[in-house]
Amino acid sequence: MRAVGVSLISVALTTIVIANAYYQKKQFYPSVVYITKSNPSMAVIYIQAFILVLLAGKLTRKIFFGQLRTAEFEHLMERAWYAITETCLAFTVFRDDFNPKFVALFTLLLFLKSFHWLAEDRVDYMERSPVISWLFHVRVLSLLLVLGSLDYLFVQHAYLSTMTKGASVQLVFGFEYAILLTMVVNIAIKYILHAIDLNSDTPWENKAVFLLYTELIMGLIKVILYVAFVVIMVRIYTLPLFAFRPMYYTIRNFKKAFNDVILSRRAIHNMNTLYPDATPEELQAADNVCIICREEMTTASKKLPCNHIFHTACLRSWFQRQQTCPTCRLNILRTTPTNNAQQQRQEQRPRAQPVPNPFVGPNPFVNFNPFQQLLNQNVPNPNVQAPAQDANQQGGTPNVTPTQNTQAGSSTSQQQANVPPFGMPPFMPFPFFPFVSQPPVPPQNLRSLSPEELRRMEGNERENVEARIQCLKNIQVMLDAAVLMMQQYSASVAISATMPVPQTASSTPESTSTVNTETVASNSSPKDNVTTSTSTVNNILNSSSSSSENATNSNSPSDNKIPSNLSAEEELRRRRLQRFQQPAEQQQ
Amino acid sequence: MAGSALRRLMAEYKQLTLNPPEGIIAGPINEENFFEWEALITGPEGTCFEGGVFPAKLIFPPDYPLSPPKMQFTCEMFHPNIYSDGRVCISILHAPGDDPMGYESSAERWSPVQSVEKILLSVVSMLAEPNDESGANVDAAKMWRENREEFNRIAERIVRRTLGIPT
Ligand SMILES: [Zn+2]
Ligand SMILES: [Zn+2]
Repeated sequence: MRAVGVSLISVALTTIVIANAYYQKKQFYPSVVYITKSNPSMAVIYIQAFILVLLAGKLTRKIFFGQLRTAEFEHLMERAWYAITETCLAFTVFRDDFNPKFVALFTLLLFLKSFHWLAEDRVDYMERSPVISWLFHVRVLSLLLVLGSLDYLFVQHAYLSTMTKGASVQLVFGFEYAILLTMVVNIAIKYILHAIDLNSDTPWENKAVFLLYTELIMGLIKVILYVAFVVIMVRIYTLPLFAFRPMYYTIRNFKKAFNDVILSRRAIHNMNTLYPDATPEELQAADNVCIICREEMTTASKKLPCNHIFHTACLRSWFQRQQTCPTCRLNILRTTPTNNAQQQRQEQRPRAQPVPNPFVGPNPFVNFNPFQQLLNQNVPNPNVQAPAQDANQQGGTPNVTPTQNTQAGSSTSQQQANVPPFGMPPFMPFPFFPFVSQPPVPPQNLRSLSPEELRRMEGNERENVEARIQCLKNIQVMLDAAVLMMQQYSASVAISATMPVPQTASSTPESTSTVNTETVASNSSPKDNVTTSTSTVNNILNSSSSSSENATNSNSPSDNKIPSNLSAEEELRRRRLQRFQQPAEQQQ
Repeated sequence: MAGSALRRLMAEYKQLTLNPPEGIIAGPINEENFFEWEALITGPEGTCFEGGVFPAKLIFPPDYPLSPPKMQFTCEMFHPNIYSDGRVCISILHAPGDDPMGYESSAERWSPVQSVEKILLSVVSMLAEPNDESGANVDAAKMWRENREEFNRIAERIVRRTLGIPT
């Protein structure tokens, strides 16, 4: 309403000015001269021109955009304000060139800029509205075409003018229109991506990735343009202060796009390597609705370590922001890649069976005795080796039986316990895999060392020192293994303490031990401790003598000899030593 | 296919229309734009806001539900967790890490598992039990702690105003 009033007043004023001039001079040319000589008349004419431009702008806006949404309008006003202040700053640099033509060109630039912003907002809006009419497509396409060709023409004009007449304010225009041209390209790419997505029947999962890379490349081009512009301006004129704010935002956006691309790549990588695809059975069993998009999961879904299932694409975009499970907020980065890769490989093998949950597996010791592994490598004793391998091979299967038994009860109790294994060091589920590959040679017995070997450890030559260092390294690895085992021990003790232990579980190792030789039975003995004496498990580590007695009651006969006042740690150490000595004695 | 944010908002709108929670109405202001909603929240019974019907608007980000929406009451409000301009400050509306107040636990933070319905229900319980540690409106928080009678009087005046009853 106010706008209409202002334009009416302006028109009235202009009419008065022209009428007055014509009334005084009676002829066309003298009237024109009269108006241009008179400052007040010129002011009125300028105002009128400005209002005409505004009206023309409104008209084109009406043609290309129809009614602006409130958000679009606010956005436009905010950006226009900054653009106007920057233009005023630019005037100070080019005050020598200041003339009406210059002002008109800047006004035109502002106008075109505002249309670019609106086009950008409109294309972003495509993703948000359920109703996109054909009119929308026609408008956007024609607008992009017009803006693109105008930008191109202005860039070309600025280039030619700078080449022929030398540097002038055209430098700024050329640069501004070049930036706008990249903007048009960016909008056009976005429009194409959105249009493809709109016309497909299924969600286009890779659209986000394409958008991300578009953003990155366009950001890079803009940054290069800005840097080049600033360098040229500094060389020819002065520091272009007016370009600093947009340059800052451009660089910031580029940095953000760069970060996003990195995060997205990492998320995709994690997605592809760490987490198993959800099987159709799992999708059937679960609620089957992806909590991120609230749509059914039919294909391309991933399962996190916490057993929550999501669409691969949904999870990927979420991981770009946060590396947690959307449902239970489990920090998925705290589980190390190697560990998860191992787990995945393990899970792929017995896919048909219910996935053996490594955290509930009650007998982690059967197959993970590093010392046993070492012995297997070192001792060419078929008696020991064969059953040991047996136990290792069975490692997959015995795991399953008790797991199946306990799964129903434990899956809930496990959730209540808030999945403690992830608080544990990352080697938890398959703790001793690292040692399979690099077993150190344990100093089995000093007697077994040949005099030559002993001599090699003496002396001051390099090889002697190396031999000593190697020996120390071996000891260190052995100690690490021992620490790992203790952690494993206390972890499984903690787990088994939190859940009821089914009677059947304790029978499992027995069945193993009856089949195998005595060595294996003693290997599985720590597991007996865990399963049979859950009530006293904590005491085992508290070195309470009575509990260690309790715990060892069920062990192999050889263990019964130990005095009851031995602490748990001593008992463990003793048993390990025993295991070292056994093969050594057998050798002799 | 429409964007994923749009599809999820449409799904939530459908859900809210089919099974509306008690005392809450919410939906897009204009069905051409699903990213701006209005909501009407009834003051919970047995509290000083009982009987009031409070209008609010929700603005959703383009990447919803990865980022939380913003919520703002469009009527006058006086509450420890509502800024004087109506913006609501509760933990469910903040992503972890984004912590304007500095003492919200991460458990209640925004994640895609939350929804419009959960937000509105949290706001209802916020109306019933203000968290006076969060200082969105320090005056209201202070009054809630120290002068409950005065607080109730102001709340009652606001309730009457939302109902169009002269105060
Ligand atoms: Zn999904
Ligand atoms: Zn989870």
